[in-house]
Amino acid sequence: MNTPTTPTDDLPSGSGPDRPPDTAADRSPAGGSTITEATEPGDGERQTPEQVALGRRQRFAESFRQFRSDHLMGFLFGIVILLLLLVAIAAPIIATHDPSAIPRPPQKLAPPSTDHFFGTDQLGRDIFSRVVYGARTSLIVATATVIISTILGTLLGAVSGYLGGWVDLVIQRIVDAVLSIPVLILALFIASLLGASITNVVLALSIIYIPRFSRIARGEMLRIRSAEYVTAAEALGAKPSRIIFKHGVPNLVAPIIVLASLTFGQAIVAEAALSFLGVGAPITEPSWGRMLSTSREFMTVAWWSVVFPGAALSLGVLAFNLFGDALRDHLDPKLVR
Amino acid sequence: MIEYVVRRILSGLIVLFLLSTFLFFVMRAVPGDVVRLQLADAGSVTDERMAEMEAELGLDRPALAQYASWLGGVVRGDLGDSLWERRPVTEMIIERFPVTFELAFLSIVVAVGLGIVTGVASAIRRGTVTDDGLRVASVLGLSVPNFFLALLMITSASVWFNWVAPLSYRRPWDDLGVNLQQMAMPAIALGVSVAAAIARLTRSSMLEVLGSDYIRTVRAKGASSRLVNYKHALRNSLIPILTLIGLQFGALLGGTVILESIFGLPGVGSMIFRAVEQRDYPVIQAGAILYGTIFVAVNIAVDITYGLIDPRIRRS
Repeated sequence: MNTPTTPTDDLPSGSGPDRPPDTAADRSPAGGSTITEATEPGDGERQTPEQVALGRRQRFAESFRQFRSDHLMGFLFGIVILLLLLVAIAAPIIATHDPSAIPRPPQKLAPPSTDHFFGTDQLGRDIFSRVVYGARTSLIVATATVIISTILGTLLGAVSGYLGGWVDLVIQRIVDAVLSIPVLILALFIASLLGASITNVVLALSIIYIPRFSRIARGEMLRIRSAEYVTAAEALGAKPSRIIFKHGVPNLVAPIIVLASLTFGQAIVAEAALSFLGVGAPITEPSWGRMLSTSREFMTVAWWSVVFPGAALSLGVLAFNLFGDALRDHLDPKLVR
Repeated sequence: MIEYVVRRILSGLIVLFLLSTFLFFVMRAVPGDVVRLQLADAGSVTDERMAEMEAELGLDRPALAQYASWLGGVVRGDLGDSLWERRPVTEMIIERFPVTFELAFLSIVVAVGLGIVTGVASAIRRGTVTDDGLRVASVLGLSVPNFFLALLMITSASVWFNWVAPLSYRRPWDDLGVNLQQMAMPAIALGVSVAAAIARLTRSSMLEVLGSDYIRTVRAKGASSRLVNYKHALRNSLIPILTLIGLQFGALLGGTVILESIFGLPGVGSMIFRAVEQRDYPVIQAGAILYGTIFVAVNIAVDITYGLIDPRIRRS
């Protein structure tokens, strides 16, 4: 049990409201670097780097304290998210059985007991271990989707908003087209065309979520483009790329982070729905959605085979929803939902 | 106003055109051939049989030629023939659409009814235990995925009340009682999350309106709290709720695919799901166009309704 130190050390220093929750998993607990990265907005070029770092650190700590006291619920569910991440990372340690092993003789549909906390499924596999590994599948898909769609969507929107003209027109029509078809339908098309695999689910969901980010980023970029500091930068001869990355993107961070944390919950549901329909995670990977669909025939005789995976799924979504809501109120109370 | 509506409809058409073009070419570019699937289904896959069947279905022609004839058909209202059932897709949709429409309609009714009542109750009892309870319920409603909720409802009804919905689907005009028994659970499962979203929005926009100056004026004039709450506050809170319904409608349509499959309803959603599994291109395209059209149309309708409710928007 040496892993738990990572998130607990990480918590007070880094896991504040200015940081997207999805990066918590892959970042080392090197406290200093997290803070600088978290509040990247590159302003104040006249200060020395040390002063900037100190200022950011203070502002960040202040913002974090504020978040904890104003949005206790969101803060608590932020901890739930960290716990889920911990479960996903430490799945082999936490799981009591091999999630795919079928014991001999198989104890099919055994009710919850001290040996099988959540009972067993129709093949005799341990549901607790499958739920634990399911967290891994679910969070890998959601994290990858959110990272990809945040980065690409923001860039696309920022470039489109800054350049305007026909580039903007073409990109916006494509964005409209994607947004005008229900998420699950489009995901179903793409995922089933590509075949059931984790990568393909991520690809399908990214295609769907990129337009949302680019729409928000574009709107913000239009606002930023007409700001005086951008006019000034242009007058000084700054290249478009410099304006987009140095002046545009840092100012987009707040709304984008909020959207990212809310998209996280939606991506979890979407992955589960696709797996439920049989086009999501492959059969070899334990997935909450697929567990629900395979157990549904047995649910009247073995409620545990449906209730536990479903509860885990709902908890994950709930945590990201509440955390995302709190983050939105914290970063920008005026932001529309 | 008319100019605005026309512009919206035109841009909606462009969007749908792009969407269908995209789907047309993507589906033909990706492996997982419909011909192979059908022959595998029939028993033997040989090269001659495949070529024969491709010619039969017109799939051996160049993609652009196929696209041109498909597009020509769409303009005339002919969405092509299903590659599996060998009959017009339009016919299949007409047969199945009422089921999906009823499901969507009933769940919107559930969503709006439950959502507004909950939101209003929460707003006028702000800060009480009722308010807290209702807010927790809304957050839960928003987070529990509809297919899990559906499974829970089926299980608890059968375990505790020994009740199972009648199995073979009946149309509402044949047997309304049986039909409603079959529709009740999917409609509720689908409507709950939208209801939760509506409740949260109703609560916050009611509170915003209740805190405004003109409400204070109305109160100062001695109006009863009922009048204040319903005539003034609720009515002015409806606009954002309308937008929300427009936006949530997409999620609702997507949900029909999964819920129709769970409850065995013969609607457009389950048709699309099966078509996707079978690579039945014309059906998939028609489904996408249909759902896209509904979604775009609902949002245009929402925009028009705005103007009717709030004259300020009409003028600008």
